[in-house]
Amino acid sequence: MAACVSSIRSVRVLSKIIHGHFLPAAAVQHQASSSRWLHGTRGSALSPAVSLTEEPDTLYQELSVRVKGHDRAVLDSYEFFATLAARELGLTLDRAFEPRKHTEKLTLLKSVHIFKKHRVQYESRTHQRCIQMSRVTGSTARVYLEYIQRNLPEGVAMEVTKTSVEKIPEHIQKPLWTDCTLE
Amino acid sequence: MNKNMATSLVRQTKLLSIVSSQLNSAACFRNIHCSAACLKNRAARIRVGKGDKSVTYEQAYHPHHIGHRKGWLSQHTSNLQGEDGAAERVVEDVFIRRFMYGTFHGCLADEVVIKRRGNLLVICAVMIQKLLPSKFYFLIGYTEELLSHFYKCPVKIEMQTVEEKVVYKYL
Repeated sequence: MAACVSSIRSVRVLSKIIHGHFLPAAAVQHQASSSRWLHGTRGSALSPAVSLTEEPDTLYQELSVRVKGHDRAVLDSYEFFATLAARELGLTLDRAFEPRKHTEKLTLLKSVHIFKKHRVQYESRTHQRCIQMSRVTGSTARVYLEYIQRNLPEGVAMEVTKTSVEKIPEHIQKPLWTDCTLE
Repeated sequence: MNKNMATSLVRQTKLLSIVSSQLNSAACFRNIHCSAACLKNRAARIRVGKGDKSVTYEQAYHPHHIGHRKGWLSQHTSNLQGEDGAAERVVEDVFIRRFMYGTFHGCLADEVVIKRRGNLLVICAVMIQKLLPSKFYFLIGYTEELLSHFYKCPVKIEMQTVEEKVVYKYL
């Protein structure tokens, strides 16, 4: 219940800040819809939305979110939003850096028929941002990624890389030479 | 010192005038021209005229101002590096623009902006208040229904109406 209340508060804080920054209208709509859902669960406080399962949660050593877009200002504001969300949800942010932009240049003929000497040059720039978080649990990662992806602006693509921590399988836990004795 | 500089300058100007007069004389017909007719770009530009042609902000700025003074009319991820599907998006965009131009004939104040968020297709348009609001609502519903059945994805139209076409300047 306390966790629910704190998450509602953090969502409300986020919604206040997001209104000030330029994000598309759908983001605000999604924000409003998610807060409405949370209000619904608060009304029925006795039945929580969290489900308990027996199996242990997957642990991620590193969660890397890479966003690509044509507009650097949009990526700036999205990075601010994602880092703020991570900080509010208590995720450990490693670093948020900007990989080098990629420029694709095309030199084409200007005219339909002849005039080989006269060409036109086009270029397409792809800016990128990378946000890396460490030591994240599976359920936290799922919630954070769902929130981030629902508010992804148009014209921005996202790539998520998760590095999970696995238990060593039983058959290779002990080295082979301890069992068989050499004579 | 000053006299020497002045005399050298006068000599240089005399030389230049001699050269230009020789070039333009009847004996030789070579003239210097700096830009060939093919060097001029004509894409998405409205040529400067007498001052009676009204032009919107979108039409006033040339394509090299995109990203600096203009935004993008069609926003999707297929033109980014490592993403595909650009050709399909272009075809869809062309169809949607023609469809909007035809359905809301004479009502469009400016170019239609097409945004794609995941599966959702958002069409943003600015209209002149030529029709009654009820007719606008009907046409919006008709467009949304038809396009969503055609493209098998949810289609939303975000419309804004304006009394008259917003003029940025006269060319």
